[in-house]
Amino acid sequence: MRVPLEKKVLNENDRLAASLRERFRQLGILTVNLISAPGSGKTSLLERTLETFDPSRRVALLTGDIQTDNDARRLARFGFPTRQITTGGACHLDARMVERALEGWDLAAIDLLFLENVGNLVCPTSYDLGEEARVVLLSVTEGEDKPLKYPATFYHADLVILNKIDLLPYVPFRIELARENARRVQPAVEILEISCSTGEGLDRWRQWLEALRVAAAS
Amino acid sequence: MHEMSIAASVLDAVRAEAARHAGTRASRIGLRIGELSRVEPESLRFCFEVLVSGSDLEPLALDLELVPRRNRCLDCGTLFTVVDYNFNCGACGGIRTEPAGGDEMELTYLELEEPDAGTA
Repeated sequence: MRVPLEKKVLNENDRLAASLRERFRQLGILTVNLISAPGSGKTSLLERTLETFDPSRRVALLTGDIQTDNDARRLARFGFPTRQITTGGACHLDARMVERALEGWDLAAIDLLFLENVGNLVCPTSYDLGEEARVVLLSVTEGEDKPLKYPATFYHADLVILNKIDLLPYVPFRIELARENARRVQPAVEILEISCSTGEGLDRWRQWLEALRVAAAS
Repeated sequence: MHEMSIAASVLDAVRAEAARHAGTRASRIGLRIGELSRVEPESLRFCFEVLVSGSDLEPLALDLELVPRRNRCLDCGTLFTVVDYNFNCGACGGIRTEPAGGDEMELTYLELEEPDAGTA
């Protein structure tokens, strides 16, 4: 006897992420998951973002690494609630780690939560953290073909950021080709070009963020 | 790495469905995996076998159906498989197409056996 099912498989992480997303939405919190290879500039982007925020901004951060709390110390300097998630070997954050790290925080006092993932372009894409927006960074010291090599990561991105554009004169990176590759994977994806060193393009990033935050709060 | 928890979810679903059909034993589960689903089929097959082995469900078989990324042409409506990131419609050459599948991860069917029937 064959019983037709046509039913989506949800794993434990998906279930947990769905309940986190529900909590974030009810509280009007915009949650942003930052994904990239190691060294593409996730922490630098967060530093450049936080340094322009008024101390009254209701922002908090979780930052993931396999070892060390170096990133949390870099980010805590700005005075916003920051916690390091040390995965102890796991190459990605998962919804359970995020849920645990949020314990004891008054989420009602937050309207913007950054989740800085472990530097890795492969595994984080399989783990929903309950985020509203997923941002994938690629820097110009990497290859333009990263979107083609890691299609699932770029396919599930809400925003692709090309970082370190101040280095373009010194590296063979063809930025138009990188854009084209990202669009081959996801034709309508939004792409921003920035430099965390010079600040170029960061105003557009802040506008993108602010538009989403306003939408999440309403 | 998350294939183990997906395999565990599949087995949970099998048990739940089998429980609705008293007196039967689940013999085969159909699972459809899309190219964009972020699941490694061989890893999933391995995890499935590990979990089934020695469990109450042994010898449950896994029927894995792999489906490619598809797009639909907004001009002529043709559904086509996307190969090498070519999103243009093969039928009319149109360049306006939209995603139409490839991120599936779904149970398609469950085969049940009635132990009393057919055996001597």
